[in-house]
Amino acid sequence: MKRSIFVISILVILSMLLAACGQATEAPAEPVAPAEEPAEPGEEMAEPAAAEVVYDRSETLYVSGAAWGPPSTWNPFQPGSLANTTGTLGFVYETLFDYDPMSGTMTPWLAESGAWVDDNTYAVTLRDGLTWSDGEPLTATDIAFTFELAQQYTAMWFAPMWDYLTSVTVIDDLNLEFAFVDPLYQEWENNLYNIPIVPEHLWADRTEEEITVGANENPVGSGAYLYETHSEDRNVWLRNENWWGIPVFGAPAPRRIVDIRTSSNNVALGMVLKGELDLSNNFLPGVAELANQGYVDTYFAGAPYMLSANTAVLFLNTTKSPMDDAAFRRALAFAINVDDIVNVAYANLVAAASPTGLLPNLDTFIDHDLVAEIGWTYDPAEAAAILTEAGYVMGDDGFFNAPDGSDIALEVTCPFGWTDWMEAINVIASSAQAAGINIQAVTPDYGAWNDALQGGTFDMTLNNWAALSNTPWTLYNLLFRHPIQDVIQSGNFGRYDNAAVFDLVDALATVQSTDVAGMQAACSEIQRVLLTDVPMIPLWYNGLWAQFSSAVWTNWPMDGSASPTLPTTWSGYWQLGGLNTLINLEPVVAE
Amino acid sequence: MRRYFGRKFLIYGLTFFLAVTVDWLIPRFMPGDPISNILSRSLLNAEGAQQMYDYYERVFGLDLPVWQQYLNFWGSLLHGDLGISAYLFPQPVTRVIWRAVPYDAFLLLPSILLSWWAGNKFGAYAARTKRLDNTILPIGYILTATPYMWLGILLAWIFGIVLGIFPIAGAYSYSMQPHLSWLFIKDVILHWFLPFASLFLVGFGGWAIGMRNMIIYELEADYSHYLEALGAPRSLIRKYAFRNAILPQLTGLALQLGVIVAGALVTEVVFSYPGIGYLLLSAIQNQDYFLIQGCFLFIIIGILIANFAIDIAYVIVDPRTRMGMLGDSS
Amino acid sequence: MIERLRNNEFLFFAFRNKRLRVGLFIVLFFLALTLVGPLLAKYDPSEYAAYGSHPPSAEYWFGTTTFGQDVFSQFVLGLRATFLVGMIGGGLGTLIGVVVGFTAGYNGGIIDEVLNILTNIVLVIPTLAILLIIAAYLNVRGIVAESIFIGCTAWPWAARAIRAQTFSLRTREFVDLSKLSGMKSGKIIFTEIAPNMMSYLVMTFILQFGGAILNAATLDFIGLGPTSTISLGLMMQYSVLWGALQLGQWWWFMPPGIAITAIVGAMYIMNVGLDEVFNPKLREM
Repeated sequence: MKRSIFVISILVILSMLLAACGQATEAPAEPVAPAEEPAEPGEEMAEPAAAEVVYDRSETLYVSGAAWGPPSTWNPFQPGSLANTTGTLGFVYETLFDYDPMSGTMTPWLAESGAWVDDNTYAVTLRDGLTWSDGEPLTATDIAFTFELAQQYTAMWFAPMWDYLTSVTVIDDLNLEFAFVDPLYQEWENNLYNIPIVPEHLWADRTEEEITVGANENPVGSGAYLYETHSEDRNVWLRNENWWGIPVFGAPAPRRIVDIRTSSNNVALGMVLKGELDLSNNFLPGVAELANQGYVDTYFAGAPYMLSANTAVLFLNTTKSPMDDAAFRRALAFAINVDDIVNVAYANLVAAASPTGLLPNLDTFIDHDLVAEIGWTYDPAEAAAILTEAGYVMGDDGFFNAPDGSDIALEVTCPFGWTDWMEAINVIASSAQAAGINIQAVTPDYGAWNDALQGGTFDMTLNNWAALSNTPWTLYNLLFRHPIQDVIQSGNFGRYDNAAVFDLVDALATVQSTDVAGMQAACSEIQRVLLTDVPMIPLWYNGLWAQFSSAVWTNWPMDGSASPTLPTTWSGYWQLGGLNTLINLEPVVAE
Repeated sequence: MRRYFGRKFLIYGLTFFLAVTVDWLIPRFMPGDPISNILSRSLLNAEGAQQMYDYYERVFGLDLPVWQQYLNFWGSLLHGDLGISAYLFPQPVTRVIWRAVPYDAFLLLPSILLSWWAGNKFGAYAARTKRLDNTILPIGYILTATPYMWLGILLAWIFGIVLGIFPIAGAYSYSMQPHLSWLFIKDVILHWFLPFASLFLVGFGGWAIGMRNMIIYELEADYSHYLEALGAPRSLIRKYAFRNAILPQLTGLALQLGVIVAGALVTEVVFSYPGIGYLLLSAIQNQDYFLIQGCFLFIIIGILIANFAIDIAYVIVDPRTRMGMLGDSS
Repeated sequence: MIERLRNNEFLFFAFRNKRLRVGLFIVLFFLALTLVGPLLAKYDPSEYAAYGSHPPSAEYWFGTTTFGQDVFSQFVLGLRATFLVGMIGGGLGTLIGVVVGFTAGYNGGIIDEVLNILTNIVLVIPTLAILLIIAAYLNVRGIVAESIFIGCTAWPWAARAIRAQTFSLRTREFVDLSKLSGMKSGKIIFTEIAPNMMSYLVMTFILQFGGAILNAATLDFIGLGPTSTISLGLMMQYSVLWGALQLGQWWWFMPPGIAITAIVGAMYIMNVGLDEVFNPKLREM
């Protein structure tokens, strides 16, 4: 017996040692691609203090809800993968402009100013004194280099821009010009706050593979934060004390940011209750209750508690009967009880969407008269009337049959495990059934669902990629993406084929953003098609989930603040005001 | 001796070969295409997307005929190269798994061994008196019948949130980097304790019941009665009974290793503990062939090694097996 | 004559055995709840009966979920799914295990070797990992499909146990006698060996039943359960995903776990009780 105790304790200790060895190799990752070598330490680099392995609570910001997997890549040109290293674009790499959805304006960021010199030339003047974190200056050469990467490699996501961009000319260190032929003004402006600028002196010698898909470990950028370390469930960013933006915008308050990845939302909920998170961008169930009880604060003190982040759209597969019939689609729009989705499925954390699909920040482009005239509301009687008029006949089972007599049995899908969507499609199915349309809610696994989405084999399903944007064009470009291919990955999943509306969307892209009236007119025409033909149904605005605690950091943006910004850490949102939130934060002064 | 281990090697080798083949096969028949998944969020235009698709196909070797992929798989396996993860592109699978292994080892080994040892000890106690039997045994039943995650969540709720003693997520504090200090070690143990406890408790129940049954059986065997008739003290009889009873428990330990993966996976999900089980689940949800294969392989290799270790332990502990090795089947 | 005496003796001890009584009582209670419950349940499990979450009350016996669904209605339907998985999964596991184990044990030789290797392989492969992967193949899963997977991966335990028992029985004198007297193999199996194995079969089935329920709960919890119906494991998963405990909605989280623990625990207790009934040696305790 004694021997077995001995053996067992040896084994236990061995396993702990093994674990310890494994963890000790965590801290800085060994580079797979060539590491960023600092050229010469011209100025002093901000290095993390060697002994700093325990973070001071009052200097650290703990956030969650942005990363969903272990960090694996810091390549700013891979928007999808950046979901797990959310600060790469925004903290480390920056863009020429920022966009503030709250005020609807483009803020010059790296650029000091940018303007259309004439219809085909865009001139940019950079700020003076921009630097990279390794001390080198950021000049127009870097900008030109970054843009020209997409000319060389078609795998860059903004390569299509070179269809109408002809050349980038560097005039001097701070000035450059972009020359176009028939520019898509809307796309260009959208790109201005989405294209990260990378250092030419470090990237010029990289191979195509490294640039397009390399991991880019230990990234060197121009931004307010530096990469410090990471592990399976966290990213740690350290403030760049030499950031060029400090005299311009102010320094972001937290010295360190720990971006935590939890295995699911309810774990984040537990951490919020324990006070371990400052900002949580997860969808937390019951957060309305928590806000009422004072555990957390949210942007709005009452419903819908959250700002709106993207539009959840129900895509209808127009290649299948009866969804190829506009009357059926329109009737369906009247049959869905969006209020139940808002009140029951989401417990008032979201808001119903405009039938045009545009988010509130683009309200100027919603043609309200048109919506009042031909928009829809929840009205099952109207749905029935439309169907009957179109030749659908109510069967004995209480469900409508197609005009040719065939049964209608459809499925609305979402990935299994996306709990809020699962409840939403339950509401869609049950309200449709109540109106006489036989729709069942089905929840396949993500892989199968995604295949059906991209392959166009689904009946109807949800998608919410139409996110906050500076222009209505991005939404309509997503909804009416063309040309239609066998495998569709980026919009128009219902394969709605309408050359007229495609032309309208293309025309919208060519309207100058200063021409508000022109944009409104173009949008109005697109919306007319959307409201009459109803190829897809915008249902609700998903929330910009944000719950924050004022225990350690205060002055969070809330409704009624002087100049509120977006309280979010989501990838792709730092340039939408997320970084400004950090700049405005204040530490709670200990009494 | 040689025949005994020879047969064992043969069985393990065969098992390994078949398991690896099954491992290679299964993910390939999963519905869905991992490359489209990677590309789905890139919003590339048609030409760019096609180029990336071809690139990824080359990188993952998916453009080769199936039989060649199989052979390449064995080849890289022997080099220790398990390919590149699709879900965590461009990290190599080996690196991803290697980071998760310490957490699993740290969690599983102590809980398996300690629950086995403690369960057997308490099971043996229970076989002593009726009173102990009636208290320990029901506890054992309840514990072993409890689903892992339910227990885990209850523990997290009670000790983590209500009482606030333990943290409920992660392997070590989010405010620290791994380094050698008492503070860090204490922190790691705090994070480890609840997941360990939930695995330990459920395992403990099972072993306690098993051991109790075995001991009772042994106590009723002829040799026990004989010893008793000879006037041997009860403790001596119990000692012999325990030695005999431990053998099936050893076998049970080997069998348990395959099952414990389930418990660990669920526990890891509940506590966000970054081990292989959770990695496997994420890989499946993201249809990452190579990561699935890698995790699976690690688990199988781990189990085979552990089984082998137990076979060796069997030889040490059981004289009959030692004698039997000179003869026929084990 | 011997048969009848044997039956009486078993039944006699069976009813006296406290463990068996307790275990059986618990299982029958839940079984009754499964059968009678749906008649008592007032709502459809997925119906939004109330707005938001309510604690147990006269109207909602087990309270409501965060969406206002009646927990009791979900509970009784989930119980049914649980029993179904136990029956089918456990039954299938026992069946395959018995067939494999018995064939291996009775025939011996090369058949035994091959089946042994097969059993070892299936034992070694972590069943959950396989279940995960297989479950991910199917778009839409039902309870029956889940039970079949579980049955197909849980049989090695039963096979091993049955094989060992068959081995020991095969070498007993009465089998030799039957062979000597010229009885055919099949008859020997059915009339001589099977009755002695009965007890073992019953106990194996009970263990498989309990194991299947736990396996199903695990699968459901990680999201690979049935996509078209409710089960206790799914209830646990939803209640966890929607933060039931953290938000104080204990009535949604506790009942499924308690039910599973009770049923499986009762099964194990019954098993021990039966062991005592069938093995007089254990009755001392």
